[in-house]
Amino acid sequence: MQQAAAVPAPHALETTTGLDNRKLLMWLFLASDCLFFGSLIAAYLLYRDRNTVGPYPKDLYDIPFTSVSSFVLLMSSVSMVLALAAIQRGDVRSLRIWLTATALLGLTFLSGQAFEFTEFWDKGLSLRANLFGSTFFVLTGFHGTHVAIGVLILGSIVVRSLQGRIKQEDSMNVELAGLYWHFVDIVWIVIFTLVYLITPR
Amino acid sequence: MKNFFESAPLLIGVPFLVIGLAGALIAILVGMAPERPQPAAEYAGAGGASGGMIRVSAHPGPAEYVMVGVVLAVITALEVAIYYVDITALLVPALLVLSATKFILVVAFFMHLRFDSQLFTSLFTGGMVLAVAVFIVVLATLGASLR
Repeated sequence: MQQAAAVPAPHALETTTGLDNRKLLMWLFLASDCLFFGSLIAAYLLYRDRNTVGPYPKDLYDIPFTSVSSFVLLMSSVSMVLALAAIQRGDVRSLRIWLTATALLGLTFLSGQAFEFTEFWDKGLSLRANLFGSTFFVLTGFHGTHVAIGVLILGSIVVRSLQGRIKQEDSMNVELAGLYWHFVDIVWIVIFTLVYLITPR
Repeated sequence: MKNFFESAPLLIGVPFLVIGLAGALIAILVGMAPERPQPAAEYAGAGGASGGMIRVSAHPGPAEYVMVGVVLAVITALEVAIYYVDITALLVPALLVLSATKFILVVAFFMHLRFDSQLFTSLFTGGMVLAVAVFIVVLATLGASLR
């Protein structure tokens, strides 16, 4: 089922490109963030195996647990896009429900990450323990920070909708938040594969 | 695969094969896009031919989004299953292809690149290709290994 929506055009959208500048800027930001996370992932892969002391990745990673976390974040992308579909058809109530679900799934993912960090810490891994610890915590920590910022953005949209300040013609705000959220998800798709699954055993 | 980074053909070939496959998939998805709005027509102003209305290009409906979500979940399950199967030689390529497929599905459908302006696709692909290129050069130069 394809759906096409027609919404009033604010004058601010009459740009030289014909595209919304906020959306253009968001894509530019996401492109730059690719380089940011690319450098962190490269640093991790470079230094992961250059440790003179443990603990080592194979001693710590719990693949079933991280798989569930990955699944939770993937499903948050589904609820996010359903929130966008809801506001594009003017259904503010469904928007609130799906955005709240997305934020809760994001918080679940963050809780899992906090649990994982605590477990690793208890087993002797820290930022200063070895190169694996430094690069692992910096990479996953920055990703977690992105998720936390995303949860705050989603929360602010829910609050604004409760105040009656999010209407169908404001769907671009939700779309921008969605682009950010999906980007955080695709970064985790890469991290899950390169950091957790493709690792020396 | 143990000596992946000691073999020049593998070192150069596999990453470019992955990038090539990803590019081909993106090209196919873009080619299958139902209708790309022209920039000037996408946001016609109040005096525009559309009478002050934006024509948002045809996006998938909730059913399609859920279907893509199911496919993503299945691929994730497949990744984890492959991790536990002893296919040493194929593990890395298989996981990279599955991961790239998930990446493209999210970008094409959830982030609407398949339906939006080509400019967004170019911007994001540019950043991503640059990141992957730098990533490969750094790893190859400094001798990292995936396994």
